[in-house]
Amino acid sequence: MKDNYLAKWLNNELTEAELAAFKETAEYASYQRIVNASDKLQGPSYDVDKAYARLRDKTSAGGKVVQMRSSRMYWSAAAAVAVLIAFSFFYINTLDETISTAYAEQTRVNLPDESEVLLNAGSELSYSKRKWDKQRNVSLQGEAFFRVAKGKKFTVTTESGSVTVLGTQFNVEQRKGFFEVSCFEGLVSVSFNGREHRLPAGSSLMMVDGQLVTASVAPGTTPSWLNDESSFKSIPLAYVLQEFERQFDVQVETRNIDLGQLFTGTFSNTDIHLALQSISTPSQMKYTLEENNVLFYAEDIP
Amino acid sequence: MKTGQPDTVCGEAVFSELFRTHSKTVFNYIYYKYGNEEKSNDAVQEAFVRLWENCSKVSPEKAKAYVYTVANNLYLNVLKAEKVRLKYSSGLSDSTIESPDFLMQEKEFGEKLQRALNNLPENQRTTFLLNRIDGKKYAEIAEMEQVSVKAIEKRMHLALKSLREEIDGI
Repeated sequence: MKDNYLAKWLNNELTEAELAAFKETAEYASYQRIVNASDKLQGPSYDVDKAYARLRDKTSAGGKVVQMRSSRMYWSAAAAVAVLIAFSFFYINTLDETISTAYAEQTRVNLPDESEVLLNAGSELSYSKRKWDKQRNVSLQGEAFFRVAKGKKFTVTTESGSVTVLGTQFNVEQRKGFFEVSCFEGLVSVSFNGREHRLPAGSSLMMVDGQLVTASVAPGTTPSWLNDESSFKSIPLAYVLQEFERQFDVQVETRNIDLGQLFTGTFSNTDIHLALQSISTPSQMKYTLEENNVLFYAEDIP
Repeated sequence: MKTGQPDTVCGEAVFSELFRTHSKTVFNYIYYKYGNEEKSNDAVQEAFVRLWENCSKVSPEKAKAYVYTVANNLYLNVLKAEKVRLKYSSGLSDSTIESPDFLMQEKEFGEKLQRALNNLPENQRTTFLLNRIDGKKYAEIAEMEQVSVKAIEKRMHLALKSLREEIDGI
């Protein structure tokens, strides 16, 4: 008999001949009876909802909690927010509502005051429905375009920095190593690394790999991703490819490519073949596309 | 570069989904090892609290392995194994009309099986029950126990062999 044939039998891995031979043995009936009985066993009862509630009790900090990431740079700027933490050094989102987008997904969120948020792919937005009257606070991971209704102070908190506005239109993008705020209308104040920057309409602030860059955007317009295009101006190729992955939900590999080279250009968010050409041609790369995998490569220089 | 969700489990939606998907199996897993319901519940809590505390360092793909590793290591060499008590979801035989003798035999068989299960070495019992009760494939169990698939197959084989030997008395 095969090695570990009983295990193989249970997994239906025996050949017909092997199975027939096994059934001839005297022990077969016993084994079958044991398996039949075991299949009817069950473990002790387990209430998943109760367990989850118990977990939540444990992970909420005692006292008043303000919804934000445990970002030390935010503490120095957050004079307006009272924080009371008892014995825990992490925060948890006690916000009611969380909306996330997967890769290749975008969605619109209407906040309780009719402010509108358009969430780009691979992003997550959280806010408290209950507390909205008192405080307009959202927390963002990823990228979103905000149309904020006039009213009380509106704050967007991200891991890298926070943005405060009073009724305006602006775009916030926060990804690993990358933080950008563009103001299209109104006035925005960005708190970043303990400093405050004011951004009037038509300007943008960007932090890429530790470098701070200010740039301009066309005022009164909207970011290109809302028109199904991703635009970049002198952005390291690594970020361009990451956005490409998010828009099309594919996996990108590179070979012999300098991911730090700066890219200026635009790619379609809806046509992957066009997008591949838009990215590879200016960067002098070749590519292959196989189902969900893309390889960008350059030939070895002789 | 990876595809998938944002690469932490700090979001409420992602985290609660992970809990709902995996916590019951973690509970059963620890129960099959030690036979103590309270400690099994505690293990679930501890594993997921730690996952939450380290949420920014763990990706959704790694979260399952993380939780099992924590749960596994929690009581290693600390807790003494107690008797594992399992229930039968339905009668052992499918027919409802049986003679009292037959029913008595079935009951005895069930008890013999449970005794035999408790006499198995812990890793064989855990592996066998994860496969039969929780429906986990050998590859999944191998991941949870951090051994090879071949090792799991061996445990399954030996478990069945020992169970039969003990029940049949030969």
